[in-house]
Amino acid sequence: MTDSLIRLRVNGRDVASPEGTMLLEACRQNGIEIPTLCSDPRLKPASNCRLCEVEVEGRERPACACATPVEEGLVVETHTPALEDFRRAMLERLAGRIPAEDPARLAGKPFRKLLDAYGVTPSGVRRPEAKHPEHPYLDVDLSWCVACGRCVRICDEVQGQNIWTFTGRAGDLALAPELSPGLRESACVSCGACADTCPTGAIEDVTRLAEGLPERWVRTTCPYCGTGCELDMGVKGGRLTEARPVVASAVSRGHLCVKGRYGWGFNDAPDRITKPMIRRNGLWEAASWEEALEAAARAFRGALDAGGPGAVGVLASSRSTNEENYLTQKFARLALGTHNVDCCARVCHAPSAAGLGQAFGTGAATNSYADIERAGLLLVVGANPTENHPIVGARIRQRARAGVPLIVIDPRRTELAALATVHLAPRPGTNLPLLQAMANLILGEGLADTAFLATRTLNLETYAASLREWTPERAGALCGVEPEAIRRAARLYATTGPAMIFHGLGVTEHRQGTDGVAALAHLALLTGNVGLAGGGVNPLRGQNNVQGSAQMGCEPSRLTGYQKLAQSRETHAQVWGADLPEAPGLNALEMIDAAGEGRLKALLVIGYDPLLSHPGARETAENLNGLDALVVVDLFLTETAKAFGTVFLPAASPFEKEGTFMNGERRVQRVRRVVAPKGGSRTDSEILAGLAERLGAGQHFRHRDAAAVWDEARQVWPAIAGISHARLDREGGLQWPCPAEDHPGTPVLHVGTFPGGRVAFRPLAWEPSPEASDAEFPFLLNTGRSLFHFNAATMTGRTRNRDLRADDELEIHPEDAAELGLAAGDPVRVQSRHGSFTLRARPTDRVRRGEPFATFHAVAAYVNLATGRGRDRVTGTPEYKVTAVSLHAVTKRKA
Amino acid sequence: MAAIRTKPDPQIYTFPGFGTDKFPNLMLRGAGDLDNWHLKTYEQKHEGYVALKAALKLEPVAVVEEMKTSGIRGRGGAGFPCGLKWSFMPKDTADRKFTRYLVCNGDEGEPGTFKDRAILEYNPHQLIEGMIIGGWAMQCAKGFVYIRGEFLWLVEKLEAAIQQARDAGYLGKNILGTGWDYDILVYRGAGAYICGEETALLNSLEGRRGEPRVKPPFPAAKGAFGQPTTVNNVETLAAVPPILRMGGAEYAKLGTPKNTGTRIFGVSGHVKRPGLFELPLGTPMDFVVNELAGGSSTGRKIKAIIPGGASAPMFDEKDFDCPLDFDTVKARGSMAGSGGLICMDEDTCMVQATLRLIRFYAHESCGQCTPCREGCNWMEMVLHRIEHGEGRMEDLDLLASLTPRIGLRTLCPLGDAACGPMDSALQKFRHEFEHHITHKTCYATGSRLLSTVGAH
Ligand SMILES: Cc1cc2nc3c(=O)[nH]c(=O)nc-3n(C[C@H](O)[C@H](O)[C@H](O)COP(=O)(O)O)c2cc1C
Ligand code: SF4
Ligand code: SF4
Ligand code: SF4
Ligand code: FES
Repeated sequence: MTDSLIRLRVNGRDVASPEGTMLLEACRQNGIEIPTLCSDPRLKPASNCRLCEVEVEGRERPACACATPVEEGLVVETHTPALEDFRRAMLERLAGRIPAEDPARLAGKPFRKLLDAYGVTPSGVRRPEAKHPEHPYLDVDLSWCVACGRCVRICDEVQGQNIWTFTGRAGDLALAPELSPGLRESACVSCGACADTCPTGAIEDVTRLAEGLPERWVRTTCPYCGTGCELDMGVKGGRLTEARPVVASAVSRGHLCVKGRYGWGFNDAPDRITKPMIRRNGLWEAASWEEALEAAARAFRGALDAGGPGAVGVLASSRSTNEENYLTQKFARLALGTHNVDCCARVCHAPSAAGLGQAFGTGAATNSYADIERAGLLLVVGANPTENHPIVGARIRQRARAGVPLIVIDPRRTELAALATVHLAPRPGTNLPLLQAMANLILGEGLADTAFLATRTLNLETYAASLREWTPERAGALCGVEPEAIRRAARLYATTGPAMIFHGLGVTEHRQGTDGVAALAHLALLTGNVGLAGGGVNPLRGQNNVQGSAQMGCEPSRLTGYQKLAQSRETHAQVWGADLPEAPGLNALEMIDAAGEGRLKALLVIGYDPLLSHPGARETAENLNGLDALVVVDLFLTETAKAFGTVFLPAASPFEKEGTFMNGERRVQRVRRVVAPKGGSRTDSEILAGLAERLGAGQHFRHRDAAAVWDEARQVWPAIAGISHARLDREGGLQWPCPAEDHPGTPVLHVGTFPGGRVAFRPLAWEPSPEASDAEFPFLLNTGRSLFHFNAATMTGRTRNRDLRADDELEIHPEDAAELGLAAGDPVRVQSRHGSFTLRARPTDRVRRGEPFATFHAVAAYVNLATGRGRDRVTGTPEYKVTAVSLHAVTKRKA
Repeated sequence: MAAIRTKPDPQIYTFPGFGTDKFPNLMLRGAGDLDNWHLKTYEQKHEGYVALKAALKLEPVAVVEEMKTSGIRGRGGAGFPCGLKWSFMPKDTADRKFTRYLVCNGDEGEPGTFKDRAILEYNPHQLIEGMIIGGWAMQCAKGFVYIRGEFLWLVEKLEAAIQQARDAGYLGKNILGTGWDYDILVYRGAGAYICGEETALLNSLEGRRGEPRVKPPFPAAKGAFGQPTTVNNVETLAAVPPILRMGGAEYAKLGTPKNTGTRIFGVSGHVKRPGLFELPLGTPMDFVVNELAGGSSTGRKIKAIIPGGASAPMFDEKDFDCPLDFDTVKARGSMAGSGGLICMDEDTCMVQATLRLIRFYAHESCGQCTPCREGCNWMEMVLHRIEHGEGRMEDLDLLASLTPRIGLRTLCPLGDAACGPMDSALQKFRHEFEHHITHKTCYATGSRLLSTVGAH
């Protein structure tokens, strides 16, 4: 869009609008409202309700304001008697379809406002057959449908699921979930976009119908994944009643997935704990805050006395705000005097931070989600965004459908893999050889960006030499991939720019996780795909604020800003007015190990469930058992708390506090208090301040509010100095680095140069995973998440999402299933060298033979009972993605 | 493949003088010769693929120029100049290569229109040849024939003919040594009139619901599968080989200066010899109806003629002399449309005829836009009550007030199309509607209306 203004006349008034603006918008900007029914800013104009028609001088036909761009000199009339007569006539016809009964359904809906404006009342009758079968979140009664088609289009153009379709024509026109008797049986992902756009409430949130219109709305950021979608939360009677997408959001652009849209029910879950508890004689007893905080403080004092700062540790929560994470690490370092602080990035994306840090100098995504639409090619590696980062996934899918080449590297045939131009399915644990072979080909075939290499990189020769052994044939044999496919992928990636890489836990959760990330970074460097819009290497962060936790300093050897301990210890000490310990601390896994060895005695665990989420659950349990005290800060009694907790401090939920989250594209966004903390629960900040007070460090934790905490963080980390809460409230989210208040933020990193000038290639040597399959354990188990649940399902498991997908399942190739005598739904025992668990089989050719896949949400299944001790060599991130297992049918089927 | 049907269609397509210079036989060449779907017959008897060989020696742009010179306007209904349409297709540049498509519209669903099926029946190779020449002219990667689902036997014949063309090297890779690859695929419709509208057709071709798209973008910018596409009617494409054989300038001498060439008129209704007549544009309507189609078949006077398929407003007697070309028919308040002439004699009840036509549109509306979906139903409802003797005088004003709320206000021309018959019937035969309302009997037949028959 240019900044030149187009001048036109509307209703006798001069109006100026930027080129490309539709008449509808141009009029709206000038205070002229034109009635619309089928238009939605998220959708391409469909031009079918025709209510927005206006008269344009010199044109035979009226023009649809929603689909007609402004043109110089247009003379437009928007409300002539003929137009108004036409609109009223159409509205009368449409109102004839809407039942006169049950006016509440229309309340607050755009169609209600239109009818009111034209003095028309609904005069139809309810058609019982138009009511669709029940669904946990969506109520569909097409007696209210006016056939505007918005639901059909949003499901197509935004979510890309194409569930809704019209059947029949004209008078018989009816809406139906394509190919299915009802939504539940369809491929519907319950994103609720249709209900959000429907102007009449024909498709409506079940909660809206049950609770009515909210009394007020509060904008905040989704507490689930690292996409960081914005939410408008509806509140009634002091309770959350609904969540709606934010059209103006730079991140989510008016869309949400099932988790953000409907996953807030945990806030009022009956088993949420809102009173502090102390375990006495093995049983939990209610306690006052005073008692509980004192008990916790006493435990830490005891441990410190007995074993010094090495005997205590803190596990931070990637669901907490940046401000709380900042306070958490400050608490560890000042109140406990230890660097034993870590967050769950350890078990997911620490290798991304390390790999990208090594390769580029900044351990975070180089680009922005907005670049998805700018990329000429998308390369998705070891990530399943349509389920795990659904809003990013939906956008990638839309690009692929629009013909943008997509390369997917994943052992499973994920939804995106099925759409991909090239899908490479390497055996689990063999990403590195594959990526090395691609790099080797790019160099060998002269496809590298020599200008970029010459000016911005070092050490190319050594690196190139180290690659030479990786012919596509050799890599292909190791990975189980056709050499020709590797060639195709390498050529496509190198020749179709700008090329954008997204990667997920399928890269990081490996023995060579950090190297895998570095290999991706090298591919981007070789092809000059760094420092430009639509390019780069972008980890898809798991938890909503995992980026924030690590970045705020919940890391044993890094301080706020992911700055090295040695480098910024001084700055921190100055700003904090206190000294920091010198020796780096233990990471999350090491802390648990240390507990087993009796070295670590007291652990503070905030919003984290190591027993459930760490690999090798049996060993984790044995280790945790070695602790003297385990203080848990959470919403629910986690598995860790149930088994080993000594003090439980009930925390406020993400909907009950102020602060910020940091999404996977380095964007800091506001989190707002939507409702008051439930019952007696308190925010992490209050809890940490209370503990610090009792540990004699209270003076460091007396911040006025979250903004004051953030302002302190800005002093120690220059990259966020320009971001203030006030500015976020005014402008919306900002991407760091943003060093000054007048700095616009940085959507693309490394434009022109790297933090350290040039970057050096690092030769990467391959080491096969010790988790090899053999005769006893012939299968390689892979693990991951499903759309409807989030990680350990602490939150989603307490919503009606469980009605949509209740159980964890073992995806297994149909031929493997047949050989084992397994049918869909049969229980199957998964045995590894480390342990075993049982879940239900789901035969599908999404997975390859010999490579079953398990989701890990439900507590009962304990997939982690079977995962091993393999860890990334650099960051110690566990190798969740590869475990050799054997499979056993639990019940024998009759042949 | 099922056996190709060889029983002739009981269709009249010829008349004394047909095939002479005065009435050249360009598109219906080979009509009646059921063997003509064989490549050999077409080549040996009807100068088959001569034009293609000539065209492939020309630069593609030169072929487009030839089409422009010929002046031919689209025969699908809108009468848009074909050469101009072809020239809208974007050409490859150094940094942008396109995959272009040519789509043949063989949906032929307009009531009163049955010309394309005759071409498909008797002359499939001429269509194929036209599509190859068009494909060359626009440098297309593929051609599609979207064919009305009910024409099952024609699909079989067309596919067999396409295979013969492939075997002869006219289709496929490196056609006749030019280095150009091109093939034609046949796609069957599924029985919706709206799929004849070019953008609905493209949706249907892509496997989507057949409903019209918003224009712009026009198909030349974003057509089938998002690629630049030209949609042409069967008859338009079948005219391409003769145009190239005789030269555009020669073709332009046929017909009238702005309405060149011949087209196939289909005459139906109360005439003695209903059938197809290929005639130069501008031939007077009464000549076609009376001389060629033999005039009224009932002995009663012909009262109304729809001059261009069901969508065209009706003519009454005073316009029967209208020359049948796009511009004159339009100037007289109707449209030449698809060239189907529907003749109705004095005993035809115009209320019932109008109801039939409106019911068709109400039934075939894709339902996408409010005015068309709601408006056609509304008109049908009102007409229905007049037809059944339950109308009121105000209903006529209501009907008259409905068309301005539908016509010109819809996404595709189907809404307009429904208004044509409605408005013209009301204007020209208002007395019949009034008679229904006031007398509760039919003006044309005198019979009692339903509401007055039987117990209520
Ligand atoms: C409702 C509707 C139905 C149509 N049906 C047909 C049809 O059956 N066959 C056809 O060739 N054109 C049909 N058309 C016209 C096409 O949209 C298009 O203009 C035509 O195929 C272009 O071909 P031409 O330029 O060769 O005439 C229809 C148009 C409308 C609005
Ligand atoms: S259900 Fe709602 S959004 Fe969908 S077509 Fe009907 S009125 Fe429009
Ligand atoms: S994509 Fe992630 S951030 Fe967005 S709504 Fe879903 S869970 Fe929330
Ligand atoms: S005018 Fe009628 S047929 Fe055409 S798009 Fe609109 S509803 Fe569909
Ligand atoms: S809002 Fe423009 S046609 Fe519906």
